[in-house]
Order: sequence, then structure tokens, then C-alpha cells
Amino acid sequence: MLQDKVFKAVGRPLPRKEDLRLITGKGRFTDDFSLPGQAWAAMVRSPHPHARIVAIDESAALAMPGVLAVYTGADCARDRLGHIPHNPVPSTQYDMKLTAPGGGEVFIGDNRLLPDDRVRHVGEALAMVVAETRDQAQAGAEAVEVEYDELPWVADSDQATHADAPKLYDEIPNNVLVDTSFGDKAATDAAFALAAHVVSMKSHVGRVTGVPLELRAALGSYDAATGRYTLYAGSGGAVRQKRELAELLGVDPETVRVLSFDVGGNFGTRNRVYVEFGLVLWASRKLGRPVKFRAERTEAFLTDYQGRDLVSEVSLALDKDGKFLAMRASNLSNVGSRCVSLSPLSKGSGLITGSYDIPLATLRSRAVFTNTMPTQAYRSSGRPEVTFAIERLIDKAARTLGFDRIELRRRNLVAPSQMPYTNAVGSTYDSGTYEANMDRVLELADWPGVAARKREARERGKILAVGFANYVESSIGAPKERTDILVRLDGIEIVIGTQPAGQGHETSFAQVAADLLGVPFESVTITLGDTDVVSAGGGTHSGRSMRHASTVLALASEDLIAKGRALAAHALGVAEEAVQFEDGVFRAGERNLTYTWSDLARFADDPSLPEQLRGGLKVRRDNEMHTPVFPNGACVCEIEIDLETGGLDIVRYTTVDDVGRCINPLIVHGQTHGGIAQGVGQALWEQCAIDPSSGQPVNGSLMDYGMPRFDNMPSYKAEIAEVLSPTNPFGVKAGGEGGTTPAPAVIVSAIEDALAEFGSPHIEMPLTPLKIWTAIQNARPRASAE
Amino acid sequence: MQPFQYRRPATLDEARRAFDSEPEASFVAGGHTLLPTMKQGLARPPALVDLGRIAELRGIRDENGRIAIGATTYHADVASSVLVRERIPALAGLAGSIGDRHVRNRGTIGGSLANDDPAADYPAAVLGLGATVVTDRREIAGDDFFVSLYETALETGEIVTRVVFPVPQLAAYAKFRSAASRFAIAGVFIARTGEGVRVAVTGAGASGVFRARELEYALNKDFRAEALDGLSIDPSGLLEDMNATPEYRAHLTMVMARRALQNPGHALSFK
Amino acid sequence: MRVSMAVNGERVSREVEGDVLLATFLREHLGMTGTHVGCDTTQCGCCVVHLDGRSVKSCTMLAVQADGCAVTTIEGLAKGGELHPVQRAFHENHALQCGFCTPGMIMAAVNLIETAQTPLTEAKVREEMEGNLCRCTGYHNIVKAILAADAEMRGQHAAAE
Repeated sequence: MLQDKVFKAVGRPLPRKEDLRLITGKGRFTDDFSLPGQAWAAMVRSPHPHARIVAIDESAALAMPGVLAVYTGADCARDRLGHIPHNPVPSTQYDMKLTAPGGGEVFIGDNRLLPDDRVRHVGEALAMVVAETRDQAQAGAEAVEVEYDELPWVADSDQATHADAPKLYDEIPNNVLVDTSFGDKAATDAAFALAAHVVSMKSHVGRVTGVPLELRAALGSYDAATGRYTLYAGSGGAVRQKRELAELLGVDPETVRVLSFDVGGNFGTRNRVYVEFGLVLWASRKLGRPVKFRAERTEAFLTDYQGRDLVSEVSLALDKDGKFLAMRASNLSNVGSRCVSLSPLSKGSGLITGSYDIPLATLRSRAVFTNTMPTQAYRSSGRPEVTFAIERLIDKAARTLGFDRIELRRRNLVAPSQMPYTNAVGSTYDSGTYEANMDRVLELADWPGVAARKREARERGKILAVGFANYVESSIGAPKERTDILVRLDGIEIVIGTQPAGQGHETSFAQVAADLLGVPFESVTITLGDTDVVSAGGGTHSGRSMRHASTVLALASEDLIAKGRALAAHALGVAEEAVQFEDGVFRAGERNLTYTWSDLARFADDPSLPEQLRGGLKVRRDNEMHTPVFPNGACVCEIEIDLETGGLDIVRYTTVDDVGRCINPLIVHGQTHGGIAQGVGQALWEQCAIDPSSGQPVNGSLMDYGMPRFDNMPSYKAEIAEVLSPTNPFGVKAGGEGGTTPAPAVIVSAIEDALAEFGSPHIEMPLTPLKIWTAIQNARPRASAE
Repeated sequence: MQPFQYRRPATLDEARRAFDSEPEASFVAGGHTLLPTMKQGLARPPALVDLGRIAELRGIRDENGRIAIGATTYHADVASSVLVRERIPALAGLAGSIGDRHVRNRGTIGGSLANDDPAADYPAAVLGLGATVVTDRREIAGDDFFVSLYETALETGEIVTRVVFPVPQLAAYAKFRSAASRFAIAGVFIARTGEGVRVAVTGAGASGVFRARELEYALNKDFRAEALDGLSIDPSGLLEDMNATPEYRAHLTMVMARRALQNPGHALSFK
Repeated sequence: MRVSMAVNGERVSREVEGDVLLATFLREHLGMTGTHVGCDTTQCGCCVVHLDGRSVKSCTMLAVQADGCAVTTIEGLAKGGELHPVQRAFHENHALQCGFCTPGMIMAAVNLIETAQTPLTEAKVREEMEGNLCRCTGYHNIVKAILAADAEMRGQHAAAE
């Protein structure tokens, strides 16, 4: 453990190395790359939620100016292209084990690059047009004539589970692909039967989409001379994408090179391969020219992998003093038209009891297909949903049973003395001081001053209200990571398989390596994103990166230091035991001879070195780590509602976040801020809505999809708590997703506080001014009658 | 976008001749109404005639005591004009509330009016002040200019040259904006001139901007917010979309009308 | 058509079709990929550049409309290897994460500071920057950076007088 080490770079708010190119317009995003002779692709997309493809007539398109080719699912089938191997069922050691109804393997639906039989959601691509220019390709795509045989469709997840619902796959009778129960049913039922109080709630954490500002794009090329494919595409992990693309193309992975350099936001949307990535590679081989694709924003709204969409029914059994006795939950995840990742359902399933000591629980986790765009992980995959459910349920219990909502929580929080704490569905929380977080955030938010602020706001015609939420979330992530450390004459190069899209790995990993190796922060460079250099790695998602990177770097550093000592010993003619390493310097015992890393690098390639010391001053280290960590915290938000319009302002937003060891507070605060905004966006404005009569998505653009902006977000008061995790050398938990996890819950908690005087109507996100005003209007007659 | 011919005349005469040779052409100035429509494929004119370099179409002048704003004057310039701020501050404020600061540096009053977007701000000012839209062929009274959703009284090839605003005794604007588009869900422009009170509502009507006659009648008798008590807008003629029902729009219209009256000389924006 | 303009102080002259957007002209014809395109409804602000001293969304104007004008892009802000105060403030305040919105954001901020008659406040910054979206930062640090740069540039200006 590195608990007692004194750090020079780690822990400091160092400004980032990646900034210079990004603030001067020298970033390298996918669309910034062009290859000589490149052609452009545009997709033909289904206008129907569910239909059989009867016939595709390409003739008009092929006659359009500049059009080079039209490809369909039949062409893909002829070339024996495979499915995208999404491998959606989480299967690391600590993931909740989801199964098909009745146990058994989950049917995931197929994800061919282009279907040749059926389309299953509005926007599904069924053909690709390639032309000389992007405009010509788009015009060509519009000219492709498709004859469809429309089929009955279903978009709502509840409806899709009914026996008479339209079926997406003949293999699955009622569209339910996952149905797994967890927990001790008999004991839980018994506890409910004896409980003094039972509180229940059903809520729908709706569907949203990531809206990374960089549009989805891919540039594919094939070199016939070498037989190699090259793909430029922003992703959440170039190594995984290379492997999956190679598999679906039916080629050796070493013939595929994926380059994800600067990635303009991910949030989960880029974790998985898109059909366009495979299609441009395949088309570039067939055409003998590079093929480029860039989505329109409306196309991204329609066909970026979407997030959330969980219906949650929860019940809590309490004793007469408000002690939580048991919990029941039934979660239904809408995976869309095929299963790309069950991470949200799985992650959430492990955390249904939240920050609270609830000894018994049962959970039914289900996933269902619908005729909608597939969903997968989105910022804090699964955790905001279950945090929302438990925190609102506790608020409801407080409200209806007459408890103070803070005291009710305090009475039931998991205590530090209980750590590591195994919850009722088997997740073991590693560490955390939940009550301390709660008290600290209440202090920072001036909770005691709320009553006075409420009175003052009322004089201005506004309702001031406050929301509260605790959270605990999990970071598991792909368990393997690899790093190469190379000592050069002028510095240290680190190659690693994570994939940042703004998280600052070039900086924070350099801080870690600098302190491990005793070198200046400025001398360390981090190399990412090119699979010809990065041979292995787990990508970036689920808050995994710093934990895995710092651990594998710690291990690799030990190996490198050992190699360094051996080299120094050889050069000095002393035994290895006589060489000490401290602060980046190798020193031989009593003699005053020292070597820096640079010195050693100078003779590390010397051919006269004995066999075992040859090969340069570098190491490669792999690590596999399954034990999850549990970042946690607490959050308060204060809002003002304009009674006349339903308009809402957030006037304060305060958080305390236990991220474990904080490597760079500047970066971690930034992650918290951005995470908060995404959670608030879901609570107030964001929604991927489907028109119930036509099955058409209605939020097609930024004109309809409300976003957090400068003028609807506040400044934040965010404090970091560092309770070191015992699970890894640096004690890191994660800082990337804790901002989002409690945000929907805390915003709705505040709005419920505001609406308490109107009879506490049931409300569902997004809580637009229209919804808030409507809730007030509907409740008013009741309130005045009382 | 699909290909088109581009013409940039230096004078109005050249503009007319350019249009005569390309009768399917669209006029463009700042392009912030037309270009987004073309990018989405909703409009595909074979030619564009750019009015942006025609000197006589730009500028703000006093015209016999009224304020004349050239058709290709940018919103930002109306907002910062000393003349407009002195004489019709609510109009300057309205212009300064359109879109965002970058849009205001390119968007023009002529472009905005010719499109008659049901949620645009300028129509409320034109109708609310009883302004006159001057074209290269005639003068059109504000009351006659707005025909229906996205439809104006302009004939094919007719070019707006300037908009002439009478200076009111008092005017104010208040709007409530949609969270996503930032366009008005209900925007109310109220003006009192020697001829009485006009109340124009944008963002709400199913046929575009309209005058709220019942409110005008009440305010003519008593020009205070209290005069609106008990009055309401009929939801049946109002727009319905994801962000606002007709009932909500009707309610917001009354709230915005009151807030405008309580803040004469200002343009307020709520969300 | 032939279009001529000054881009970051240098005269540029090209043959271009009338329907080419200014953003496309900068990115593809001039190879200056610093200006980004993030949406199709003129709402995100990633494409903001300066046109004759005004901030404009380059995705919603035609290159030919910039004929005879002076265009400044993100690539033209740093002078002689020295960062502009706004660039420096973004760096020091961690006002960028993925960097995609950053060029347009910086250009918008520079223009805001240059045209503000009085010192900026948080409320004013939030109101005036409405036309620029960021999905990564939650805006907090960008506000800080703009206020810091405003204070520095106003201080420099006062010192110069």
C-alpha cells in the first residue's frame, strides 16, 4: 500500500498537459482526419419502428451524381459479415449475474451491420450509400427506394412484457430477455408481514441520450498491399473495438488498427461499436478507397446508443421507529431493439439498498426488447436509477409517516464500523463514512438556514425548496489493464489502454507515474488510443480508469525499478542488494555514485549487457483486478420555483464526494461538475420521447431536447472526501460518475419539497415548467378544499 | 445542403433582376432563418439572392419622428442603437433577447419577418406597435402583414426594404421561453400610442402572431396590470407541443402580459 | 466563385461553390480543423469564429458571405507563440475537458470580454454565453475562466491607458 508515501505530484491540482493542443485548435478529433481519395458514406434509415424489408431499389440512387455504390444487408450477408459481438452480459467476478427467464443464457438479438430481413427501430440503418462528397451521399441515400411491410410495434417497456405485445424476436415470447431474482424471498416476505409500516412507489427513470458534442464519425481505409484495415473513430476503448471489428469482419485482429485520439465526449455513448465503423472498413476494401462517415446531430439523437429507461417498483418495510427492515424491488430495463449492454441493469441491481443498512431485500431484474434505439451504459450506468428509487422512497416514507427525512436516513445509514459491508443483494461496500458525508454537506449547504430563506423567497412570489440525497455507487469495469513503461533519454513514456474523452489521463496518470518513479511530472508522457501501440487495455467506462491505471502502474513501476537496480548494479559492479532507489535516483550504498533514469537509459541498449539485462529500459505489466470499489457521498440542492409559470431556478447545489484518493482535485471537481449537469439535465429537461400513437421519436434535435446551459445551471460547491479504499495500492475509488448518481434524486427531492403544500402529487421526470405548473394546477383544488 | 446558385447583387435593382432570372430563388440576408431550414432539407431553393451587401437596406434612421430599421440590420445593432434605446427601449430590448449573441450578430429583421416563424419575437413588436413593413413595391400595415403560420402578405419576389415603427408613449415585452429551442412559448408586446393600446402575442397562436383584443379593450380603459384580472385567452386557438399545452400557453400569455405592464420600457425573458 | 478574405491576418483567396458553409471552408478547404461542427440547428456554438470583430456561428453562413471580411479563428488567437489571456485562463481554471466545444467557447468568450462595457459578473457571463453548449464541464469552471480573463484584460487595458 502507498498509504504512507509522501506524494509530490499526486494530490495536486495540476493544470492539464492535453490543454495546449485543445485550446489552440490543434486537437485531433475523428472528423479532422482525411485520407487521399476518400469517399463519403450516408445511411438509409428505417422510418418505421418495426417492418419487414420487402425490397430495396438502388437504381435511382446509383444514377445520382457522385454516387459510387449502394450496400445493403444482402451484400453484407453475401460477404459473410458477422454480428457485432457486443457481449452484453456483464460477467466479471462481482457483477450481478443476470439470466434469461428460468435461468440460462440470455438471448441478445442480433446486431448485423445491416439487416436483410427486418428493421426493428426508427432510424435503424438498412443500406449505405457511398459517394464522392457527403452531400452527394446524403442525396443518394434519400433516393434509395425501400418497400416495407409494416409490422405492429411496441415502444413502452411495461407494454412490451405482455403476452399479446408485438414480438421483436420469434425466439422470445414476450420480449423479456432477462428475468432474474436475487435475495432471500422467504425472510423478506416475513419481515414485510411483521412491519409496522410499508411504503411503496413506482417510478420511471426515462430515456435520455448522451449528446457528446463531437458527432459520431468514422474514417475507414484498407491497404490491399498489407491487408490491413485502419479505422479512425472516437471510442471508449480502441482495443475492444479492434477486437470486435476484427471478429465481425472475420479477420485476424492484428490486421485491424483503430485510432481514437481526441474524443469529444463519451459518457457511455461511445463504449460500443457502431454499425458505421464496420461498414466503412468493409466498404473501403470493396471500393479500394477510404470511406468516411459523420453523423448529423439529428442522426445522433436518433441513433447514438441511448441511456437509462428503467421502470422501478420499490417497497420499504419499516418498524415503528423508522428502522428499515426489508426492501423489495422490481426493475425493468428497456434495452431497445437488441441487447448491447446489460451493464445498467446489472450495476443497479447490486445497489438497490443504497447507503442504508437494510438487512433483507428481494430484487427482480428484468430486461425487455422494444422497438426503440438500443440503450446501454450512460454516465453512472444504472446507479442514478436505483439511487433515485431508494432516495425518493425514503422521502416518501418520511413525508407520509411523519419522520424528519434527514433523521430517518441517519438512523439507517451503514456505519463505518460495518465496513466492509455486504448488502442484502451481495455487494460488499469497501469503505466509506456516510454519516460524516451527510453532516458535512448539510453544513456546507447551510441546511439550518433554509427555513428563513423559504420565508424570504415567498415574499418575492417564489417557492424555495430543498432536496437531499445520499448515494453509494460502484465502479467495477473491465478487469484487465496493461501498461508499457519506456524510459527514454529525455523522459518516460507510458502506454496504457484506457480511453479518455476529457478525463485528463495524460495529466493524472503522469502524476501517478512521476511519483512512483521519482521523476518530474513534466517528463512523463502518456500514449493512448492507437492499437498499433496500445496492445491491450480495458478502455474507459464506469469510473475504472484511475483505479486500474494506478494499480498497474504501481506494479509496473516495481518491475521497472527492479530492472533499474539490476542495471545500476551491473554498471557499478556491485550486488543488486547494494543499490537503493529513492526519489528517482539509484544509489550504490557507501559510494557516492548515482544514476538517474536517463543515465540508465543511456546504456540500457548496450549489446555487451548480459542476456537478462538486455532489451532496453522498459517493462510491460498486465494486471487483472475484479474487486469493485464504492464511491459515495451526499448532496443538497436548493431551488426556487416561480408559482405563476412553473419555471425553476437552481440557486445552490452542494456535494460531498468520497472518491478515495484524489489524484488531481482540479480534474475530479471538473468531473463532478459535468456529472451534476448530466443528472440535472435528466431531471429537468432531457427526454428521448416516443409518440405513443406512431412510435416515432419526437426529440429529433437540440430544438426539442433541452440541455443544461450556462443560464440554467448554478455554480456548485463541491467538496472531495478521501476515504482510501483498501482494495488497491493508491486507495482510489472513482470520481467520474458520483456527480450524476444522486442528481436526479436530489432535484426531484427538492421539487417534491416544493409541491408538498400542494398535496405531494406524483411527478415524473423531466420536470419541465409545464409539468411543474400542471402539478400545481391539478393539486390546487384539493389543497384549497382542505 | 443541396447545391444552389449564389448571387450577390449590389443594388435593389440588381436584386430584382437576379430574381427575375431565377424565379424559384430565395432571398437571404443573415441566413439564420433560411440556412438552418436548408440544412435540414426542408427548403431546397435552386438559387439564393443575397441582399446582405445592399447598402440602402441596412441602417436605423429617424423617419419623420418614426424609427425606420433597414431590412438587413442585425438584431445586435437594433439592440445597441442609441436611437432605438431612447425612443422605443422595449424594441431594443426585444432585439437583444433574440436567440443568442452570435445569432444576433447575423440575424436580420427582414429575414425574421419574411419567414414569420410562429415563435419569433419581431412579429410581436411589428404587430404590437402597429409598424409598417415597407417593400420595394408598397407599404404593408403590420395588421395586414402576418397572414398565417410561416405565411406573410409578401408576394413572390417582393423584397422587404425597411420596417417603420411609430414611437409609442409606453411599450414593454415579456416572454416565456421553451427550455430546448429557447424560442418563445408565449411572448407579449404591449404598446400604448395616441391611438390606443395594442397587445400582440407571439409563440402561442396556432396561426402565428395575433392581437389579444379583449386585453386591448380592457387596457384602453385602464392601463394597469389589475385591469387584466379575470381576463383570459381562449386556448382553442393556441399551439400544442411537447413543451406547452394550449392551456399553459393561455395562462402564460396572461402572466407575461401582466409582467410586461409592470415593467414599461423593458423586454423581459423568463424560463 | 472566387472568395477572398483575411483569415487570422493572412489573405486567402479560393475558388469555391456558393453553397459551401464558412465552417466547411475553414475546415476542409483551408485545412484549419480547429473550428468544429457539433449540431445542425445553429444551437451548439462549437463553430463560433469572429467576422469583422463580431462573433458568428460559421456553420450558418456561407463562405461567400465572408468575402472581403476579416475572419479570426481559434488558430489565430495566440500571438507569436504566446497564448491569449482567455486561452490561458481556460487552462488555469480547467475550463475544458474533451476540448470539442473549446474553440467556439474561447472565441465566444473573447468577443464577450472585448465588447463588454463594464466588468463582467457571473450572471452576465451565464446570460451572454447561452449560445455555447458544453457537455463535459457543467459550465462552472468556464465561468470562472471568463471572469478571470475579463479581470486580467480589463486590468491590462487600464494599465495601458
